[in-house]
Amino acid sequence: MNKFRARLRTWWHNRLPRRDTLTLTQRNVYILPTRAGWMLALTLLLLLVASINYQLNLGYLLTFLLAGSAVAGMHMCHANLRGLTLHLNPPEPVHAGQAAVLEIRLSSERKRTRHGIGMGVIGANLAHAPLAWTDVPAQASTTLQVSWPVPARGQHALPALHAFTLFPLGTFRVWTVWRPASTVLVYPEPESAPPPLPPGEPQAGSSGSARVQSTGEFDGVRAYRRGDPIKAVVWKKAAQAFAAGRDELVSRDALSTQRQQLWLDHAQCGAGDLEGRLSRLTAWVLMADRLGLDFGLRVPGREIAPDQGPTHRARCLETLALC
Amino acid sequence: MLKTALSALPRDTRDTLFLLAVVAWVAVMQIPHVPWWCSTLTAGVLLWRTTLTLRGRPLPNWPWRLGLLLITLMATWATHGTLLGQDAGVTLVVVLLALKTLEMRARRDAFVVFFLAFFTLLTHFFYSQSLLTAAGILIALLGLLTALVNAHMPVGRPSLWQAARIAAGMAAMGAPIMLVLFLLFPRFSPLWGVPGEDRGRSGLSSTMRVGQIAELVLDDGIALRVRFEGDPPPQAELYFRGPVLSRFDGVEWRPSRAEFPGRRALQSELSVAGDPIRYEVTMEPSQRPWLFLLEAAEQAPQVPGMNVRMTPELQWLTDRPIGQLVRYGAISHTTFRHGPLEPVLALQEQVALPPGFNPRTLELAQQLRREHGRGPEATPRLVQAVMERLRTGGYLYTLEPGVYGQHTADEFWFDRRQGFCEHIASSFVILMRALDIPARIVTGYQGGELNGIDGFWTVRQRDAHAWAEVWQQGLGWVRVDPTSAVAPGRTGSLQRLSAAEGAFAGAIRNFNPTLAAQLRAAWEAMNNRWNQWVLNYTQGSQLDLLKNLGFKSPSWTDLAYVLIGVVVLVSLLGAAWTLWERQQHDPWLRLLRRARTRLADLGVASADHTPPRELAQRVRQRWGETEAARRIAQWLLQLEAQRYARPGAAPSPSLATLQREFRQLAWPRKDPR
Repeated sequence: MNKFRARLRTWWHNRLPRRDTLTLTQRNVYILPTRAGWMLALTLLLLLVASINYQLNLGYLLTFLLAGSAVAGMHMCHANLRGLTLHLNPPEPVHAGQAAVLEIRLSSERKRTRHGIGMGVIGANLAHAPLAWTDVPAQASTTLQVSWPVPARGQHALPALHAFTLFPLGTFRVWTVWRPASTVLVYPEPESAPPPLPPGEPQAGSSGSARVQSTGEFDGVRAYRRGDPIKAVVWKKAAQAFAAGRDELVSRDALSTQRQQLWLDHAQCGAGDLEGRLSRLTAWVLMADRLGLDFGLRVPGREIAPDQGPTHRARCLETLALC
Repeated sequence: MLKTALSALPRDTRDTLFLLAVVAWVAVMQIPHVPWWCSTLTAGVLLWRTTLTLRGRPLPNWPWRLGLLLITLMATWATHGTLLGQDAGVTLVVVLLALKTLEMRARRDAFVVFFLAFFTLLTHFFYSQSLLTAAGILIALLGLLTALVNAHMPVGRPSLWQAARIAAGMAAMGAPIMLVLFLLFPRFSPLWGVPGEDRGRSGLSSTMRVGQIAELVLDDGIALRVRFEGDPPPQAELYFRGPVLSRFDGVEWRPSRAEFPGRRALQSELSVAGDPIRYEVTMEPSQRPWLFLLEAAEQAPQVPGMNVRMTPELQWLTDRPIGQLVRYGAISHTTFRHGPLEPVLALQEQVALPPGFNPRTLELAQQLRREHGRGPEATPRLVQAVMERLRTGGYLYTLEPGVYGQHTADEFWFDRRQGFCEHIASSFVILMRALDIPARIVTGYQGGELNGIDGFWTVRQRDAHAWAEVWQQGLGWVRVDPTSAVAPGRTGSLQRLSAAEGAFAGAIRNFNPTLAAQLRAAWEAMNNRWNQWVLNYTQGSQLDLLKNLGFKSPSWTDLAYVLIGVVVLVSLLGAAWTLWERQQHDPWLRLLRRARTRLADLGVASADHTPPRELAQRVRQRWGETEAARRIAQWLLQLEAQRYARPGAAPSPSLATLQREFRQLAWPRKDPR
């Protein structure tokens, strides 16, 4: 039965068009009583029977006022979601093993606040999906973040999301199902304790110098000079120096790194399977980027020339993700 | 102060305290109807829960709750002898409501409290359906809705006031639904028997022990409300007849037992004269089967859903106890004659006295007979003599005559010489019977008070009265009110011994006596209107409503049709509204469209996307710098500013102002060409 329902749901969700902005109307907002709603209905029935049996006119009044309030509550509940506009900001890429943060802007043109709107990812178990709650102020918008534990690396379509509300009485559940069009890029998971960066390769066309016999560490450092970019400071060494009681900063010598080139090569990174290698390369990309080094990346069928900066890093990571 | 204290609490604590307060309010209203231990236990549990909440302590474990539940069950059994009856049920539900708060952890549990509270609310109506009760229940309902709304505002810390406003709005939206359902929902007869003959009763009882009406005399509660068509009879004639008591065992007066077989039994043999008095009585529930009518009525009053019959003693009885407010119209005569005109065997019952009681009264009877003779023709003389004795013998009308012993009539006639209607009537009838004159006691209500605001006469429990009927040959039963001989003011005028009043009423009365009376009259008129409109809305009234709507002979199926029709109509309206909502109905756009149409009529064409600024320019081009054109352009620019002004710019007129200005604009004439 559950399996059948799950299949039915999947079939239904797959029919929904994917879009990044969804305006909720009569057509895509659904409403059903909750368990509390059924309990309320039972209560009303019992109150009615008691009123009939004891001929209590005031009992009728109480019963009907409660029933009227429940009907009004049903409309309020539906109106709480109807007319709301959901917009998904394109999600930032994340690493596998992390959770993607989906940032959704909810904007309302209504003159009254919309209270208690919850959003979540429709997972296998609807009841235990983590939910984010928000109020949408009158004629304003608010953003809400839903996290989604991403699957393996690659480009992924976003899961179906649901927005729902129980406000004001909790007797009805009003909800909508929304399939955003955006995708999320998932980088490979960085290796947790990666080996040091590989040694640099001599730059094509430059004569071999002493620097070729590198220790594997990038020791091209010199004393700090005023005007050096703060990024060039080797903080690790500075910390060691401070610990030893000396008061000196060292900077990375740009020239020395220029002479040898760091290549992060899929073929030579040492780890076993493809995923392991990608994982290590990812860690190295992050490490090299943190150190502010120029680096190139070689993966099967693709080579990215050495460079640095966020764009370069993003390019490399994307390559690793989609490789 | 309270507000700051509340706002310092964490939200969960605040919410729990609020719900506890609502539960306490629901329970407090039940205090008069539940045994003392129930109130105490409920108060204790709620206080305990409050302390736990304030201190942030964990809730008690299940053995506590189970233990308390068992104690409750046992105490209920001990008090009521059952767990199922109505009173036992009320007691149980109140305690259960309090106990449920002890396991109220999550907001979900608030639901259970919510539903239990509704049952408790309904049980209030078993005991009272007055306006005050309704107000109390309304407050409780709003409180419960507020708690529920608050529980579904999960973000941040919404103020309770905000939740209360939403709840009130919801109830206000529900009110029309309530009204329609209340008016049209078919009223069925009870699904199973109405239990509750043993409920707290007020009003006259079917027996009279000397000293009993005293309790009623102190009761300011309302027994009947009467509206006369035309002029009401004088106050001294307002005898509302209730139980007639013919059997006396020395201590207690009881109604006649039908000892005589049908044909020989006492017949009512009623004949009326004079102008009929038409009136309508609204009677408070008495839990007893008799209707109060002004002395003698020939025709049975129509009480919806009940069969009414008259006993030979001119009492009107219904087939079941009156457990709700009833209204009936009746026609009475104050001039009438009833009972056999010649002596019949059945009159024997009316002279019987138990042996061994009131020896001195019997002696007095002997003496009176010696003085005034015997036989049927002496009866008026004897009655006169006894009345004279009451008038001149130093007898006193008082509400505090002290406790009477075994020989009540002896004590009254010779020792104490004071008492009120029941002592006087009882002693009088005993003396009459000792004189071999058939006599009996009639209880009921005498007098009443006109409420100047709505013109209804109010008859209260303290108007309960007992008088006597004496049989005279050729006349039948004749009413004799011995109390009027002792205290002429008791009947006739408004001068009565009144019960002690509360400090507040006393203060008002000292301050301004007429104000107190007016306030009371206004309050009672309001209560009466409540009774007439709400409590007395029965199936009969429903069918009357349908008749007014044009149904010839309505039945409850017609009611159902009308109800379904209303539901369908409202649904269609809802669907239409939905369709309308889909259309463009932004008021600003509509206003712009109207301006555009107007200008198009005058020859200034524009497209749907032309902004107001552009329109203004075209107006200027068309009519140049005339006053009218300048004002229209100005208006268009304001319309634009109303929508698109930056925040912080000079405030633009509201849309309503713009709409008004639009109507007042002087438009240029259409070109004749």
